Amino acid sequence: MLRKLLDGLYLGAGYLAGVFLIAILCLMMALSIGREIGLNVKSGDDITAWCMAAMAFLGLAHTFKSGEMIRVGLLTDRLTGRAKWLSELFSLVMAGIFIGYFAWQVVVMTYTSWLINDMSTGVLVVPLWFPQLGFTIGLVILFIAIVDELVHVLAGNNPRYLKEAPKTAEELVERAAQSGV
Amino acid sequence: MDLVSISLLISVVLVVLLGSGVWIAIALLTCGWIGMQFAPGSIPAGSVLATKIWGNAASWELAALPLFIWMGEILFRTKLSDEMFRGLAPWLRRVPGRLLHVNVLGCGIFGSVSGSSAATCATIAKIALPELKRRGYPEMLSLGSLAGAGTLGILIPPSITMVVYAVAAEVSILQVFLAGFLPGLLVMVLYSGYIAVWAMLNPDKMPPMEPRMPLREKLRESVNLIPCMLLIILVFAVLLTGWATATECAAWGVLGSLAIAWWSSSLTFKAFWDSVMGTTRLTGMIMLILAGASFMSTSMGYTGIPSALASYVDGLKLSPFMLIAALTVMYIILGAALDGISMIVLTTVVVLPMIQKAGFDLVWFGIFLVLIVEMAEVSPPVGFNLFVLQTMSGHDSNTVAWAALPFFFLLVAAVAIITVFPQIVMVLPQLVFPG
Repeated sequence: MLRKLLDGLYLGAGYLAGVFLIAILCLMMALSIGREIGLNVKSGDDITAWCMAAMAFLGLAHTFKSGEMIRVGLLTDRLTGRAKWLSELFSLVMAGIFIGYFAWQVVVMTYTSWLINDMSTGVLVVPLWFPQLGFTIGLVILFIAIVDELVHVLAGNNPRYLKEAPKTAEELVERAAQSGV
Repeated sequence: MDLVSISLLISVVLVVLLGSGVWIAIALLTCGWIGMQFAPGSIPAGSVLATKIWGNAASWELAALPLFIWMGEILFRTKLSDEMFRGLAPWLRRVPGRLLHVNVLGCGIFGSVSGSSAATCATIAKIALPELKRRGYPEMLSLGSLAGAGTLGILIPPSITMVVYAVAAEVSILQVFLAGFLPGLLVMVLYSGYIAVWAMLNPDKMPPMEPRMPLREKLRESVNLIPCMLLIILVFAVLLTGWATATECAAWGVLGSLAIAWWSSSLTFKAFWDSVMGTTRLTGMIMLILAGASFMSTSMGYTGIPSALASYVDGLKLSPFMLIAALTVMYIILGAALDGISMIVLTTVVVLPMIQKAGFDLVWFGIFLVLIVEMAEVSPPVGFNLFVLQTMSGHDSNTVAWAALPFFFLLVAAVAIITVFPQIVMVLPQLVFPG
C-alpha cells in the first residue's frame, strides 16, 4: 500500500512536470505569435520562468528513480557484492543529508515568502510563495524518494535505480538520448 | 585557514565524493556548503542556497533548454536516420572516400537539429554502421568517423552543452550558438578531408564503386531529406525575421519536429508522451547539476579562491597560447573521468576569471570548451560515443578507441586553428551583435 502510494507520488509529480513542459511550449508560442498579431500575453515571460522552475524540480524524484542522475562510475562500476553495496549506501546517505538540507532551506524560504506576504515584481503581481510551490514540493518529493531508497538499501537490497547495460541497438539509442552529453 | 588549505580541502572532498560515485549535483552542493563555512563574515549559507537557486531556476532564458532537448527527443523517435543515409548516399559516389562521408554529413545535419552528441552518434550509427559494413567499407574508418562526427551534435547548434556553458558563464545563449556554426563546418571539413586523403592513399582497401544512379532517382531518394532541411530553415527564419527571440525559436523547433513526426506517421500518443517524460528527466538532471554548480560558484566567490588563482596565473606571465595549451592538457585529463556537462560546471568558476584576465572572449572560450568536451567524448575510458559504438559494433573498447584516435587528433587540430584564428569563432556573433 505504502509502496504503491510512494511510486504513485514520484510518477505523478513526473507527469505534472510533463504538463508544465507543454505549458512552456504553449506560452512561448503565444508570446511569439502574439507579438506579430498584436496580442500581448501579460507577464508571459514571468509565467514561463515559473513553469520552468516547477517543471525542472517536480520531475526530480522520477529522474532519480529512473537512474538518470549523472555520477562518475569509473571506480564504482567495477565494484561488486558488499563493496558495491557500501558505496551505494554512502552515496545515498550523502544525498539524503544534502538534499534534506536543501529541501529544508527551500521550505523555509517559501514559508517566509508566505509569512511576510512577499509579492512578485513584474507586470503580474502574485504572492511569491505560489510559484515557489512547485520548486519546493519537487525537492521535498526528491528527498522522500532518496530516504525511501536508503531504507530499501539498508534492508540489505540493491538500489532500484541501477540499470542493466543496454542490449539492443534501440535500447542503446534511447540510453544515449537520455545521457545528455 | 588560508586560501591554499581551503582550496586543497575542497578539492580533496570533491575528488573523494565524485570517485565514490556520489551524484555530481550532490557532490557540488556538499563542496558549496563547505566553502560557505570559510566565507568571511557571517553569511547564512542556507538562505543563500535557497534564494540563489530559485533565482537561477525560474529563468526565462533557461526555458529554452527543455525545448531544445524535447526537439531532439521527438526527432530521434522518427525515421529520420534511415532517410538520412538513403538521401545522402547517391550524391557521394564521385567523392574520394564515397559513402564514408555520409557519417560526417549525416551527423552534421542531425547535429543541427539535436543538441546531444551521444544521441547524434547513436542515431546515425544505427543505420550507417551495418550498411557500410555490408558494402565492404573499412570498418575502422567507419567507426572512427562515426565517433568523431557524432560529436558535431554539441558543436553545431542547438546544443545542450552550449546552453549549460552559457548559463554557467552568464553569456548570451544565442551568441554561443552563432559562434558554433563555422567551427562546426571547420570540423566537418577536417573529418571529410581526412577520409578523402585516406581513401586516395589506400584505394585497395575501398570497396568497388556503387552502380550509377540516374538523376531522377537520386532526387527521389533525397526527397526524404527535405523535412529535416525545412526544419533547420524554419528555426533560423523565425529567428532572423524577428518573429521569435532566441528562446522562442526553440518552441518553433519543437512544433516543427512534431510536424515532421506527424508527417512520417511516427507521432503516436505514446511516442509523444515518452518524448515529454524523457525531456523532463534530462532537464531535471541538468538543472540539479546547475543548481549545485551555482551554489558552489557562489560559495567559491565568497572565499575569494577564483580571483586569487586568476591573479596567480596572471602573475606567471604565460603567453595566451601557453595558457590555452595548459588548459587543453588539464581538460583532456579531466575528460578521462567526467562527462562534458560536469566538466563545464565544475571548472567555469575557477577558470573563467583567469581566462578573462588573459584577454580571451568568453564566447570564444565556450567554443573551445565544447571542442574539448568533444575530445573527451571520443577518448577512453568514459567517452560516451566510444561506448555507443562499442555496443553497436560488438568490438572491444580498445578497437573503437584506436579507430577514433585520428579523429581525436583532428579535434586537437581544430582547437589549434581556432586559437590562432579566433575570427572563425567570433565573426558570426560579431556580425549579429555589432559592438
